Amino acid sequence: MTPLRIALAGNPNSGKTTLFNRLTGSHQKVGNYAGVTVDTKEGQLVHRGRDIILYDLPGTYSLTAYSLDEIIARDFVLDEKPDLVINVLDATNLERNLFLGLQFQELGIPMVAALNIIDQAEAMGLRIDHKQLSRLFRIPIVRTVGPKGLGLEELLDAALETADNPGSAPAPLYGAELEAALGKIVAVLNTDEAFSSNFPSRWMALKLLEKDTDARKKLESHQNETQVMRVLSEGIAALERSGGRDSEILVSEARYGLIHGAAKETVLRDRTAVPLTERIDAVLINRFLGLPIFLAVLWAIFQATFTLGAYPQEWLDSLFKALGDGARSFIAPGLLQSLLVDGILGGVGSVLSFIPLVILLFLFISFLEDTGYMSRAAFVMDKFLHIFGLHGQSFLPMMLGFGCSVPAIMAARTLKSTKDRIVTVLVTPFMSCGAKLPVEVLLAGTFFSVNSGAVVLSIYLIGVLLALGSSWVFRKTVLKGETTPFVMELPPYRLPTLKAVAWHVWEKSFQYFKKAGTVILAASILLWAIVTFPQSPPDTPPEEAMGHSLAGWTGRALEPLVKPLGFDWKVAIATVTGFAAKETVVSTLGVLYKVSGGEDDQPLREALRSDPVFNPLVAYTFMLFTLILAPCFAAQATIRAELGTRWLVFYVIFSVVLSWSLCFGVYQLGSVLRIGV
Amino acid sequence: MTIVDLRKGDRFVVTGVELTRETGKRLADMGFTRGTEGQVIRKALFGDPLQVSILGYQVTIRKSEAAGVTVEPLVSA
Ligand SMILES: Nc1nc2c(ncn2[C@@H]2O[C@H](COP(=O)(O)OP(=O)(O)OP(=O)(O)O)[C@@H](O)[C@H]2O)c(=O)[nH]1
Ligand SMILES: [Mg+2]
Repeated sequence: MTPLRIALAGNPNSGKTTLFNRLTGSHQKVGNYAGVTVDTKEGQLVHRGRDIILYDLPGTYSLTAYSLDEIIARDFVLDEKPDLVINVLDATNLERNLFLGLQFQELGIPMVAALNIIDQAEAMGLRIDHKQLSRLFRIPIVRTVGPKGLGLEELLDAALETADNPGSAPAPLYGAELEAALGKIVAVLNTDEAFSSNFPSRWMALKLLEKDTDARKKLESHQNETQVMRVLSEGIAALERSGGRDSEILVSEARYGLIHGAAKETVLRDRTAVPLTERIDAVLINRFLGLPIFLAVLWAIFQATFTLGAYPQEWLDSLFKALGDGARSFIAPGLLQSLLVDGILGGVGSVLSFIPLVILLFLFISFLEDTGYMSRAAFVMDKFLHIFGLHGQSFLPMMLGFGCSVPAIMAARTLKSTKDRIVTVLVTPFMSCGAKLPVEVLLAGTFFSVNSGAVVLSIYLIGVLLALGSSWVFRKTVLKGETTPFVMELPPYRLPTLKAVAWHVWEKSFQYFKKAGTVILAASILLWAIVTFPQSPPDTPPEEAMGHSLAGWTGRALEPLVKPLGFDWKVAIATVTGFAAKETVVSTLGVLYKVSGGEDDQPLREALRSDPVFNPLVAYTFMLFTLILAPCFAAQATIRAELGTRWLVFYVIFSVVLSWSLCFGVYQLGSVLRIGV
Repeated sequence: MTIVDLRKGDRFVVTGVELTRETGKRLADMGFTRGTEGQVIRKALFGDPLQVSILGYQVTIRKSEAAGVTVEPLVSA
C-alpha cells in the first residue's frame, strides 16, 4: 500500500511544527512568531500499521498567498495534492484560523482539524464547543496540545478514517447573491471537463471572484476561456453593484460572515480578564519605554554572553593547553607530533574553546524567539527601520543574523515584496554572526584587554549601521520602490519549555562540534600541511622555514592585496580560509603561530601580541575586515539559492569593495593620527 | 473616519477597507471586514505603527494602512 500523504497546514504560529515534531520525532525549528517555517519539511510515521508521510508547511493566512513562504504552502496543497490536510487551528484565535480552513473545504480536499493550543485558550477564558463546531463545518475536530502531545492518537485516527472514506463534506454555502454568481461561473467552468477535474470548479470560481492572479493564469488553459471571462465579469459587476464593494472583499466577508455565525454559537469568551500578555506589553512595548527596553535587552544579552562565557572558556583553554603538553611528552618530536599539536590542537582547539560563548549567544536568541518578544521588538523598531528603507519584518531575519546568517537569510522569505526581501537578504550578513564572535573575542581580548567588551560591541554596532546604511543606498539605487505594508501578528507570550531550551543548547553545541570536527579540522590539517611542506633543512629557524613553505609562497602572493590595510601574509591566509567558516580565521592563526613558534609553546594570544605586525589598530582593522567581507561559503550558497547567482556576485563584489575601502580608510587614518599603533 | 483617527483604547467597528487591491484583500483576509469589532491597543513612539486587537488577536499595522481602514467608533460602555 502506498503511504498516506498528509500535510499539516494552517495559520502561522498555530503549532504545526510542534505537532510535526511530536508525530515524526523530528526536531524542526519551533518559535513563537509568525513565519518560523519557511520551507516544506517531510517526515515519516506509522499509525495502526499504516505508513504515513507527513509534510510540515509554512503557515499562511489565506490561500490567496502573498509572500514566498505562503506561496510555498499554497502551491504544495494545490499542486502536490496531499491525500489529506490536517488543518491546525490556533484555538486562541479561532475565527481567523477558520478562515483558512474554509478555503481548504472550498478546495474539496479531505480534511480534519486539530484544535490546538487549547490549554492556552482555556487559560484565557475561552470555552469552545468543538463538537458543535465540528457539526457546523462537517469536519472532524480533535482537541490537541502540541507540546504535551495531547490528542495526537485521536487526531491520527480521525485522519485515517477521513482519508479512507473520501467524498469529503461539501463546502459550506455563502449568501444568496454570491451563490448565484458562483453557480453561473461553475456552470461554464464545467464545460471543460479536463480543466474542472484538475481544478475544482467551485474553488476556481471563488478564486476568480477574488481576482486571484494565479487562478486567472490557470484559466488560460480552459477551452472556453473567453466565455468564462464573460460570465465572470458579469458576475463581478452584479456583485459589486449590489454589494457596493469589490468582489474580492465580498468573498472574504462572506467567509467571515459564516465564521462569525459559527463562533457565536460555539465560543464563549470571558471578557473580564485582562490577559497576562497585555499586562506585560503595557510595560515592554510601552510607547516611551519600548525602545529603551529593547536596547537594554540587547545590552544584557551581550554582557551576559561575555561574562558568563568567560569562565568556561578559560577552563577549555587550559584543558587544550594541557592536552598539547601531554601530547608533546608522549609523542616523539617530528611530523606526527607537529600534526597533532600544531595542526589539530592548534587549529581545532583554538576554536573549540569559544563554544561556551557561542552557545550562550544562541541560547539568548532562541529565548527571545520562543517567548514572543521578537515580534514586539519588530513593532518597536519598525518606524526606525522604515527610515532606512527596511521593513519591520526585516527585523526578524536581522536579529537571527546575530546567530547564523544561513537560517536568517532564509527567514527573509516572510517578506511580502521581492525588493524588501532582496534588501533584507543582502544586509543580513552584516549582522555579526556567532562564527565571527570567536575572531572578535580573540583579537579584542588580545589587544584591548581593559575594554575588550566595548570593542567587540563597537564591531556589532558598526555591522548594524552598515546594514542600515547599505539598505538605504540599495533602496535609492538598485532596489527603488515603495516598501510594502507591515502587517504582523503579535502572538501571546509563552514560556519556553525547559525541554525546548535544552534541545536547542544541545543542537547548537552539536553543530559546533560537528563543524569543528569536519570543516575546521580539515582546514587545519590542510593548512598544517601547506605550512610544513616543502620541508626546510632541520636547523632552519621555524619562522624562516615557514616562509619557504607552500603557505608562505601563497601568502606572499596575496600579501600585496592586504598590505595597504596593515595586514601581512598570515592575515591574508586566515582571511582566505575564513570562507570555509569564519571560525577558521581563528584556527588558521592558531596553526600558523603554533608552527612558527616551534618548541616554545605559547598561547595564541601571547603569540599574536609578540608579533610586530600586530598592534591594536591592525587588530581592529582585521576585525572590521572579517565582519564586512563576504560571509562563509554556506551563507553565500544560501544567498545564491534565495536570490540567484547574479545577486550573489553583486553582493560579493559589494562586500569586498566596501570592506577593503573601509578598512583602508581606518588603517591609513589610524596610522596618520597614530591611534593604536 | 479611519483607524488613524482613533485614540489609544478606542473601540471601533470596521465599515470597509480603501487600500490597494492586494493590501485591502490582505487586511480583509486577516479579519478587517465590515461589521467586525476591534480596538486600538497602543501606538508606537511616533504614533506609527499601531497595535490593533481584532477577532481576539493582536496585529500591528502601519499608519499608512490604518488610514485605509474606515471605521465607526464604538462608545465604550
Ligand atoms: N500553550 C501551547 N503552546 C503551543 C501549542 N502548540 C504550539 N505552541 C507554541 O506555539 C508556538 C508556535 O509553534 P510552531 O510549532 O512553531 O508553530 P507553526 O505553526 O509551525 O508556526 P510557523 O512555522 O511560523 O507557521 C511555539 O511557541 C510553540 O511552543 C499548544 O498546544 N499549547
Ligand atoms: Mg512551523
